[in-house]
Amino acid sequence: MANVLEVRGLNKSFDGIVVARDIDLTLQSGRIVGLIGPNGAGKTSLFNLISGVVKPDSGTVLLEDAPLDELKFHERVRRGLSRTWQHIRLFPSLPVLDNLLVGTHDYPGERLVNVLFGRGRLQEHDKIAREKATDILGRMGLARVADALVSDLPYGQQKLVGVARTLMGDAKCLLLDEPMAGVEGQSYAAMQRVVREVADRGVSVCVVEHNVAFIRDLCDEGVFMFSGTIMARGSVADLTRDPQLTELYFGH
Amino acid sequence: MEYLYGIVIIVGLYVVLATSFNLIIGYGGLVSIAHPVFFALGAYASALLSRDVGIPVLLAMIAGMLVAVVASIAMALPSLRVSGDYLLIASIGFQLGVLEVIKNLRFTGGPGGFTNIPPFLIRDFGRESYVVLVLAVTLAVILLVRWIARSDYGRAMSAMRDDELAFASVGRDAMWMKIAIFGLGSGLAGLAGALYAHYFRFIAPEQFEILQSAAILTMVVVGGLRTTWGPVVGALLLQALPQALTFLQLPPSVLGPIQGLLFTGLVLVFMFFRPQGLVAAEDVWRGASSRVRKTGEAT
Repeated sequence: MANVLEVRGLNKSFDGIVVARDIDLTLQSGRIVGLIGPNGAGKTSLFNLISGVVKPDSGTVLLEDAPLDELKFHERVRRGLSRTWQHIRLFPSLPVLDNLLVGTHDYPGERLVNVLFGRGRLQEHDKIAREKATDILGRMGLARVADALVSDLPYGQQKLVGVARTLMGDAKCLLLDEPMAGVEGQSYAAMQRVVREVADRGVSVCVVEHNVAFIRDLCDEGVFMFSGTIMARGSVADLTRDPQLTELYFGH
Repeated sequence: MEYLYGIVIIVGLYVVLATSFNLIIGYGGLVSIAHPVFFALGAYASALLSRDVGIPVLLAMIAGMLVAVVASIAMALPSLRVSGDYLLIASIGFQLGVLEVIKNLRFTGGPGGFTNIPPFLIRDFGRESYVVLVLAVTLAVILLVRWIARSDYGRAMSAMRDDELAFASVGRDAMWMKIAIFGLGSGLAGLAGALYAHYFRFIAPEQFEILQSAAILTMVVVGGLRTTWGPVVGALLLQALPQALTFLQLPPSVLGPIQGLLFTGLVLVFMFFRPQGLVAAEDVWRGASSRVRKTGEAT
């Protein structure tokens, strides 16, 4: 299976506190990898380093064998490395559908030059983008709330919108930061279904999640992190059975 | 009549200044105080090019606008590369610095001002034609900013203001969007400056001082940020008030400070009692193509 994302020798520390120590990680096309570990293990920090929100002290990140190290966060997203946020970070002043439309890459209507001089060809693109957004919302069970304000939605649905927004950009690799925290009921099932669908289309997915049931049901593999280091990689069942790791996870 | 024409033109140009500043500070969320200096750059560039270089006035006016665009981008680029907060600091330096340069150069007329600026339209078609021109430009600027704010670009501006990191996470570069907004807004101020110069035919550095920045900001805040008609109402009100005050026939030594107190007082009163301004903006972006806007359906 092809490596989509490859991380080599990533290091980062803040004032002596190590958040990443010699991290090597590969993510393959079509596979979902769960990143597990106790709070403060460096899971979100690893996402920040991979996505370019935070610069590493050393190490390299490759997407389909092309190094990303010189690229800024938004440039990495355009290359196909997408992520969500633990605290969602939607656009609260926009309706749900428009939150997704902003997520379209190369939206010609959002170039000032086109707004001023080229109305005609925008409509076709707008139609395609709207169809795509409506389709994604439908698959997530959000069709009914397309025109609602995101801040009026229950928390679980907001999380879904956060994932839906990243799907507008045709990611090759998707990093999901705690997609299930605060998500219940129908949204839970919808989230699981959508993430599986995304992976089945060849996207490599990495999930940070404390919900062990979710990780066990969904992930093809687990990676255990502790104190900025990757301790083990294997099937989720094996990792959760390992007494040493369980002790690290729950403390003494 | 000439007095009235003068007032109409001044009010029209301040509507242009307030509307373009609303694009920068309201829609773009960019804090700058350098709006008067781009007004000045448009005025001086157009005046110089037409009087001393001999370029036709219409072309000189367009050039004046472009000078303001280029200068604003040159000012914004280095500061926005660092962070949005630095734009304010850079703009203070730019506002004060450029005016000092203008005061100390010979070919700008120095502190005494720049005189004998060639007129435009007035000789052939009378003063009325210039009034029509300014009002047409004013209306065009109002509609342009309204159109941008409601277009897909306006939606992206809303998203950028909401959360810059989230905006980056959908593959967008906030920096270039800010530069485009700042360049366009400052260019419109430059156009206002060019229109000012060729009507009044005399410009001096003191007309573009930092106090003007306070006046423009007051117009936008009192009128209503992020609204089409707020800056218009604000500009009308704040131009009408000082004019009304002159009818009180107070001595100039009293009148000046009273105007200053009025501006500051208004901003404070509005900040406390009506922060949304006279014309309140919707909290939610509603584009021209938005289904909610079309059906009027509440969310």
